[in-house]
Amino acid sequence: MAIRRAVLIGSLVVLAVLVEVSLLAPLPWWAATPPLALVVVAAVSFVFGSVTGAVTGFATGLILDLAPPAVGTVGASALILTLIGYGLGRVFDSDERPWPITTALTALAGGVAVVAAAALGGLLGDSRVRWEEVPSMTVAAAVYAGVLALVVVPLVRWVSRRVVPEAFPR
Amino acid sequence: MKDVRRARLILAILVLASITLIVLDLRGGTGGPLQPLRSATAAVFGPLERGITAVFSPVGRLVDSVSQLGDQQERIDALEAENEQLRVAVDTAGVDIARVAELDALLGLAADTAIDIVPAQVIAVGPAQGFAWTVAIDAGSIDGIEVGMSVINGGGLLGRTVSVGPDTSTVLLLVDATSTVGGRLAGSSQIGIVSGTGRQDLLTMQLLDPLAAIDVGDVVVTFGSQGGRPFVPGIPIGRVESVSGTPGQLTRVANLAPYADASQLNLVGVVVSQQRTESRGVIPAPAPADE
Repeated sequence: MAIRRAVLIGSLVVLAVLVEVSLLAPLPWWAATPPLALVVVAAVSFVFGSVTGAVTGFATGLILDLAPPAVGTVGASALILTLIGYGLGRVFDSDERPWPITTALTALAGGVAVVAAAALGGLLGDSRVRWEEVPSMTVAAAVYAGVLALVVVPLVRWVSRRVVPEAFPR
Repeated sequence: MKDVRRARLILAILVLASITLIVLDLRGGTGGPLQPLRSATAAVFGPLERGITAVFSPVGRLVDSVSQLGDQQERIDALEAENEQLRVAVDTAGVDIARVAELDALLGLAADTAIDIVPAQVIAVGPAQGFAWTVAIDAGSIDGIEVGMSVINGGGLLGRTVSVGPDTSTVLLLVDATSTVGGRLAGSSQIGIVSGTGRQDLLTMQLLDPLAAIDVGDVVVTFGSQGGRPFVPGIPIGRVESVSGTPGQLTRVANLAPYADASQLNLVGVVVSQQRTESRGVIPAPAPADE
């Protein structure tokens, strides 16, 4: 079960990062890129709880930090997504919650991630951070994350129930 | 209770691991202890990004064209106006071109500026939330790409390669806030430093000579680096949009509109070498005219 779960989550995460950097990021979105990888981390946290959420967040963040064309500080996204995965898993330990709550929480996480990335960048002396863009970017990322959550969260839950039914005792 | 304790322990381990990575990366810089990790990830994810782009690029192009429907008319008007101006320019350019060609031939410069280009496709773009302007392209060390090569597209200079995997490379775009390149005003040959601002439509140029004459509409080209790395000389960068500071002030800064559009990237070229087939010739003194 553990192996099947790891393979499932691993493939979801890799797919999410690839779609985000290769398909979503090149398109002309307003203010921010839809944070698909973050939404998948949120969905996994909702389904499997805070431990799996934190580990998934760490792995996803590491891939985002390392896969081309990333040039930022390695570990920054990993730190932020670890905390997001853990937090959402804690808030949310049973998996059957109504969609308005999952959507709102994912949107919140999307916004928080932008502010956290900017703050961490500023703290580490990254000259790229442009604070005047952060408000619009936060709003945009939150909206995109919320909209993606409407589809991704039920989808991840459904796939997880299919692949690892043992994790969901009735 | 035990579960919560275990969860907190795991969280603490992961947070510590992240912070360790951040510290290692900040201390090491390029070529630091994390470089093997970056290379390995590039080797795995490069081909995957390549594949997903190849499968889905028609979809992306469709979305692009739909989202631009609104400004088509505006674009047509702008293009027509530009066409008019270009026609005038073309009509008067013949004389200049002939002169330039003669001079080039004299100095052997024609051979000097010939460059070899490896074409490549953009296969991934850094998410806007990262604030970095970088793209991944589907050409790497097996195609002869090395770190620190100029990347151009039809419009002009786009950026330079900053890391190279076996079959993908990462390009730092000119508009990235950490990017700088030596620039030269095409008309007056004044030199300056062109820096990115993090905005896709704006570069700034700091002129070295505070008394330099600089006008809106002036063209800025690359100054060139030693051995053509990372920047080969003479590639158009952008056009002066506005100038701040008066002549004589310590810092005169010109705002440039980059020629290469960082938001619409598909095919790019990497300058792999600058051919220099023969040594620079000597221009003999003109023979005295026979009477």
